[in-house]
Amino acid sequence: MEGRTFLLLGIAVALLIGVLAVFFASPDPDGLESAALVVQGEKTLTGSPPENAEIQESPDGKFSYAAPMPDYSLGERLGPLGGVIAIVVGTVLAFALVLGSSKLVRHIRGNRKAKPGQ
Amino acid sequence: MHIPDSFMPLTQGLVYWAIALIFIGLSLRWARKDMSEDRIPLVAVLAAGIFALQSFNLPVSMGTSGHLIGGALAAIVLGSPFAAVFILTLVLIVQGVVFGDGGITTMGANIINMGVIGGFVGFYSFKGLMVATKSMNVSGFAAAWLACLIPALAAAVEMYLAGTFPLQEGLIAVGIYHALIGFIEGFVTIVAIRLILSARPDIVNLGMPMEKRAGA
Repeated sequence: MEGRTFLLLGIAVALLIGVLAVFFASPDPDGLESAALVVQGEKTLTGSPPENAEIQESPDGKFSYAAPMPDYSLGERLGPLGGVIAIVVGTVLAFALVLGSSKLVRHIRGNRKAKPGQ
Repeated sequence: MHIPDSFMPLTQGLVYWAIALIFIGLSLRWARKDMSEDRIPLVAVLAAGIFALQSFNLPVSMGTSGHLIGGALAAIVLGSPFAAVFILTLVLIVQGVVFGDGGITTMGANIINMGVIGGFVGFYSFKGLMVATKSMNVSGFAAAWLACLIPALAAAVEMYLAGTFPLQEGLIAVGIYHALIGFIEGFVTIVAIRLILSARPDIVNLGMPMEKRAGA
């Protein structure tokens, strides 16, 4: 498979996985969140968390930051469409950031090699 | 496994950031020296795939879900643990800055857990298991499982040091959940390696002869 085909097919598969995740990902807390609920007494180790279970956070003296698309969504108004847009933006951003950084690093290496005496 | 800002004091977050920066520097050196032009598409596609797969939480019972981390996958396919640090760092930046998934001050800890520990555990356990078992499936699965469990246990210790989790209870809960999530890590890693091998065997570096790559 040629490089360009691999690139396009790879990004298409990643986008497909991301879009499917919006509709089919489990709403259960992840491993670290679930462990936090256990140690805080909000759920048992083997049981499901109650509907109103919330992780108690202590933001005192800690950094706080409001992300532009929290929880991979654009708010309740847009619903699943907002989730799809967020995932597509994130997937493309991750792809572009790594591609750009890789090219930049390669470019710097090329410049160093081109300089005589190095 | 993304630690939020509210789970860790700022000073501890900065210590993890300082350690992470050393490994980020080493990963940039890997990228400069060992990442050939023809492997850049693979590196970028892996980043996009890991980002997407990290958003796909699957149920693992006990009211808990989990997703691929990807450190083992990146390190095994690209033949270096620093590849995992390089990719996971950039993926975690996107997740933390744009989506608030994982904190900003705790990003160093998250890079250490998923990129550094995940990448090194995944890469070296894969290499060791390949020598012992000669099976790509067994080695890849077990390495990925370990690369999910051990970073999670490290996160539990960090949470203890931060005063967020009690040590024993935290290790048990985090360990049990991630021992189960590790099965997702193992399965997805094997499938991804096989897919990439079938598409571009020429740019994959599993550190073994070609005929062994296809054999299970």
